[in-house]
Amino acid sequence: MSQHHQTIILPPAGLADWNSVMKKLISEAAPGSTDLDCGDSQLGVKELQKIINSIQKSGLSIERITSSVPETIVSAKALGHQSNLVFRRTYKANQAEVPSTSPTNTKRLKSNLLFHSYTLRSGDDLTTEGDLLLYGDVNPGARISAGGDVMIWGTLRGVAHAGKNGDESAKIIALQLRPVQLRIAQIIARGPKEKPLPGLAEQARLVAGQIIIEPAETRFNRN
Amino acid sequence: MCPVAPNTRTILICSGKGGVGKTTLTANLGIALASQGVSTVVLDADFGLRNLDLLLGLENRIVYTAQEVLEGNCRLDQALVKHKQQPNLSLLPAGNPRMLEWLKPNDMQKIVGMLQDQFDYVLIDCPAGVEDGFKNAVSASKEAIVITTPEVSAVRDADRVIGLLNTNGIKPVQLVLNRVRPKMIESQEMLSVDDVTDILALPLLGLVLEDEQVIISTNRGEPLTLSGTKSPAARCYSNIAKRLQGENIPLIDPAKEGGGLRDRFLRLMQTKII
Ligand SMILES: Nc1ncnc2c1ncn2[C@@H]1O[C@H](COP(=O)(O)OP(=O)(O)OP(=O)(O)O)[C@@H](O)[C@H]1O
Ligand SMILES: [Mg+2]
Repeated sequence: MSQHHQTIILPPAGLADWNSVMKKLISEAAPGSTDLDCGDSQLGVKELQKIINSIQKSGLSIERITSSVPETIVSAKALGHQSNLVFRRTYKANQAEVPSTSPTNTKRLKSNLLFHSYTLRSGDDLTTEGDLLLYGDVNPGARISAGGDVMIWGTLRGVAHAGKNGDESAKIIALQLRPVQLRIAQIIARGPKEKPLPGLAEQARLVAGQIIIEPAETRFNRN
Repeated sequence: MCPVAPNTRTILICSGKGGVGKTTLTANLGIALASQGVSTVVLDADFGLRNLDLLLGLENRIVYTAQEVLEGNCRLDQALVKHKQQPNLSLLPAGNPRMLEWLKPNDMQKIVGMLQDQFDYVLIDCPAGVEDGFKNAVSASKEAIVITTPEVSAVRDADRVIGLLNTNGIKPVQLVLNRVRPKMIESQEMLSVDDVTDILALPLLGLVLEDEQVIISTNRGEPLTLSGTKSPAARCYSNIAKRLQGENIPLIDPAKEGGGLRDRFLRLMQTKII
């Protein structure tokens, strides 16, 4: 974000005087453009539209919308706004250290795993910088991508990209792996023609520059 | 003023992909609901390519349209066209295609609001696509029926539409699978009912069989459900209307319709043994 940029941060959803706090934020904003950070508020199209209207009414234009809630990002996209899913370390402060032999794993789990419960439908696009665990399906026409691993507790039928920033050790794991296309780091492969056997979780990873599919490992350690 | 809060069910009939049977379903469902005794209005939200009036055989009786109502040039009841044989059903015709340019979600909500005061069911025939026409129609709807055919591209578009309906808070969203051909499913040349519901993950409101009577009745401007035929599709449409009203009618089994009984039996046997 460049320096002259400002961001309006939505007050948390449960706040009693939400409306007046919001009004104050808008009136205090400098004229011109602003980003809108929706934090962890889950907003449908109608709710988000209302908020956007109230901001635009005061003459401000909205540059980009961020949120840590995928539903809100989908709403923002549906309204034609540039939007980004951002991961927040909400619970870090009061979380106990997770014991582990490898300190890097602990860090990864604590700071980088995004959990998302929601089927991605055609046209949806979910992306995050860390690892991504999806409880739901990725349907044909939908895309899912992560800087780290993509793990899908469901069926992958669309396009998945793990290690999108170049991490070649990233994996794609799904209960049912029948993608249109798989990408790991810069490598792209078409999905296999044959349907997988039911009940066998599979993973895709890079071996010698090629994406291979094999039964999923139960250990998630990466070094 | 309307003293009673309207319990009207306002149902959007949409598909994403064009030509999968939205208008045919709207017309037949309208007639079926009306003949089951509930007052029903069908609204053509496909201003670009209107043809709901044609399918209902009402084209020659249109005087005013939704456009004149919005512009204040006529009253709602002047624009409503009552169906002759089925007076429980009315049509609110779409205006001319240029309406597309100025119609806003507010206008749509205004029209539907007026209809809700008078009818038990408002069925909205949605245009194909997910652009402005779709958005306008969604903004005025409470629930939706997504219709698709067992084809990969139609299912893909239906999925996109379902995602948009979800983010717009439309509830419930139910599925109708149209143009089902049992023989083709049996020979695995067509997606099966399970293939489709696996992906779309919606409650199945009904199947409609492929039926040439649909085409014949379309050309006559006489919906199948009106003529009282026992054609396969007519039965499907009236079952859908009953289910919509909460009746518990079992789904037809395509395997039985296509004569694939033996296969089913075999599968049952196998599960018994395991
Ligand atoms: N169950 C069926 N069996 C046979 N033909 C059908 C069936 N359902 C629809 N059709 C035919 O498919 C064609 C398209 O139907 P219809 O006009 O209802 O689709 P639509 O979704 O409203 O199209 P559009 O997107 O252009 O508005 C018509 O010719 C119709 O007769
Ligand atoms: Mg149509």
